[in-house]
Amino acid sequence: MLEKPVAESPWWRSLSNPRLLGTRLSSNVELLINFIVVVATIVFILSQGSGFGIRIAQLFAIFAILAVSLNLVIGYTGLLSLAHVAFFGVGAYSVAILTTDAAYEQVPGHIPHFGLSFFTALFVGMAITGVVALFVGGVLSRFRDDIFVLVSVGFAVISHRIFLFWQPVTRGPFGIHAIAKPEVGGMVIDSRLEFLFLTLAFLVIVFLISWLIVRSSFGRVLMAIREDEQAIEVFGYKARYFKLTIWVISAMMAALAGGITASEQTFIDPQSFVLLESILLVTIVILGGLGTLWGSLLGALVFVLLNEGMRFVPFLPGELIGQARLAILGIVIVLLMLFRPQGLVGRFKL
Amino acid sequence: MKILNADKRLPALPRSIIGHPLVSIVVAGVIIYLALLLGQSADQFLQFSINGIVIGAIYAIVAMGFNIVYGTVWFFDLSYGAMATMGAYSVFYFTGRQIQTVGRGEINNLYLDIFMGILIAGVVAWVLYVWIYPELRSRINRITLLAVGALVALATGAYTGLILAHPADLNVFLSPTIGLLVATASGCVLYLGALSGIGSGRGLILFLVLGLPGALALGGYSGWLVADTLSTRLYLSWFMGAILAGASGLAIYRGVYFYLRRQARSPLVMLVGSLGFLLSITAFIAIIFSPDGRPLAQPFGTVPWSLAGAFIKPFQVLIIGIAFAIFGGLYLLLNKTSFGTAVRAIGDDEEVARIVGINTPVVIAVIFFLGATIAGLGGILLGEDIGIRPQMGLLLLLKGWIASVVGGIGNIYGALLGGFVLGMVENYGVWYIPAQWKDAVAFVLLIFFLSFWPRGLLPRR
Repeated sequence: MLEKPVAESPWWRSLSNPRLLGTRLSSNVELLINFIVVVATIVFILSQGSGFGIRIAQLFAIFAILAVSLNLVIGYTGLLSLAHVAFFGVGAYSVAILTTDAAYEQVPGHIPHFGLSFFTALFVGMAITGVVALFVGGVLSRFRDDIFVLVSVGFAVISHRIFLFWQPVTRGPFGIHAIAKPEVGGMVIDSRLEFLFLTLAFLVIVFLISWLIVRSSFGRVLMAIREDEQAIEVFGYKARYFKLTIWVISAMMAALAGGITASEQTFIDPQSFVLLESILLVTIVILGGLGTLWGSLLGALVFVLLNEGMRFVPFLPGELIGQARLAILGIVIVLLMLFRPQGLVGRFKL
Repeated sequence: MKILNADKRLPALPRSIIGHPLVSIVVAGVIIYLALLLGQSADQFLQFSINGIVIGAIYAIVAMGFNIVYGTVWFFDLSYGAMATMGAYSVFYFTGRQIQTVGRGEINNLYLDIFMGILIAGVVAWVLYVWIYPELRSRINRITLLAVGALVALATGAYTGLILAHPADLNVFLSPTIGLLVATASGCVLYLGALSGIGSGRGLILFLVLGLPGALALGGYSGWLVADTLSTRLYLSWFMGAILAGASGLAIYRGVYFYLRRQARSPLVMLVGSLGFLLSITAFIAIIFSPDGRPLAQPFGTVPWSLAGAFIKPFQVLIIGIAFAIFGGLYLLLNKTSFGTAVRAIGDDEEVARIVGINTPVVIAVIFFLGATIAGLGGILLGEDIGIRPQMGLLLLLKGWIASVVGGIGNIYGALLGGFVLGMVENYGVWYIPAQWKDAVAFVLLIFFLSFWPRGLLPRR
């Protein structure tokens, strides 16, 4: 269900007119939400110093890439997928395994050594993820609605079990250490600030590609599939191929985020790729708004703020922060479904 | 409200299933595989079968509860998993103070006791308001009625708090309550029987002469029983855990799902909303208790019975018995009573059911209560068998869903069969590979069934 956009004067007109700005702010919830979130972020980063700011920005960039790519599938095509973390993990493990060479190994293990450079490994990893996604999407394209959700959960669980128990390749619960840092023109990127710029550059690329997809005729077909799949089939579009294409593109973007994360942390283990992460990603996308790319950025921002802001809540023991975050997110999701099912700035209601 | 037909959501069958060559190939393959396993080691085969049946019984219980909800309202309730966790943790909470378990310190939490007292008081007040208040409003002064109701609720809450805060004196406080409850319940049953069965005058006299003293005696006896033995208290805690889970399920339905359904939202909105409940309830349980797993006190001791080279614990026999008992109860409820007819009518078409005069909100509320109670029981049994963890609910729920898809979604026969099939496949399937792959095997089975046999073994209608 799309809400009709109300024809109004552009928002920048109101900047020159304080009274108009006041009425607009009270009537336009979305603008207010944007304003509050962005200001809260700036205040938070300023109050915590630049080191913390870099940390938050890095987390935000990774979650934003994942959320934007997931929004292409959930928000624009209407496929509620919980398998995104599987592609995130496949990308991360591909980069980790492909970049390990014998010299990096600190713990003796049996995993194969390739010793590729970061960027080669990233592209190979994305290609591998694309093939995996093609297979998974082929199976998933037979199902709809809640059966689709269940099967995508199945793929998330299966991928986690593979990361955890296929020890000859993934080293199982020990994880993979000493993952290579990217190298640009002979200069190794290892300071956190440089890495942040690299990640942000990738975020911009992903966002631009998504924006082009959404604005193109291809994107309009996707939205038509979301609204009514049978209707668009009548016009001769093969909905199945459109869904597969966007599925693979989205999975490859997730793999990109996975590869960057692996290199940034220099260590990965299966605990980063559990089903819960997928649920959190869906939460971010719905929180921000389905069918708006900007909403996904906003959702990621809110999530990261919540995540890091919990550290400063008084009387909250450190080991409970993760759980408290989940509790709050759960309540927020229920309230959103009750009162604002289109998310913070979205237009499409699930 | 647009209720989707069950058949429309599943992909169409490729061809007639019986004549499908793949089916015969798969069946032949399964038989050959089982024969191979049996030939390899008969003892081990028996042990794997027993494990499969026991875990399959738990899956069947969860799947049955899940299916009566899913088959009525046709949306996937993820908070069902949280209800299972809640049931298991309330058993841990109620028994932890008598029976020595690990992590005893966190049990005696004053705030938790106060919270439980408030919760119980709220539930009692709500029940009074819904059921008793409308009946008496016309006869008694309204203010008096409200005041008395509030007093009763407050007293119940204070009483619960007292029981919980004085673990040593639990028997002294608890046994009169149980006696009173049993007396009231048996009195109600007799009264209803007298009203409906024997006739107008004589039935009532019979009830007064024979029924009341009998009910009182029964109540006193059960109170004494509770006060006496330790294991009775364990089963009592099972009962309370299941009821607590059921009440939470009912509260979630009445608090949120009712309004979501009234707004005619799609099943996915309901699914995401229930996801929120799953997340926050699991997180709250992990905050109140601890995120780590722990065992529950086992009933009947831990000495297993030997059975032709394999071992089975007495408690596991009880699990299988409970699964069949629940199946029998649900069968009678759904097929032999007018309530069951109403449930099936709503499952077929809610709109029409409302038009012909079925009180749909009440029937659906009862179904949610029943489903969540059964979920709580499933969580308790799993917890007694292999220990509890805050995250146990999600996986148990998914297994229940897989079992019902395998068996045929939306009916209890399919759920029972699917549960046992899933348990068997998990156990036979991991014969050659390490046992950690069980979950992966379950999902591979699901994808296989959905791709080639989407209506399950025993489809609805």
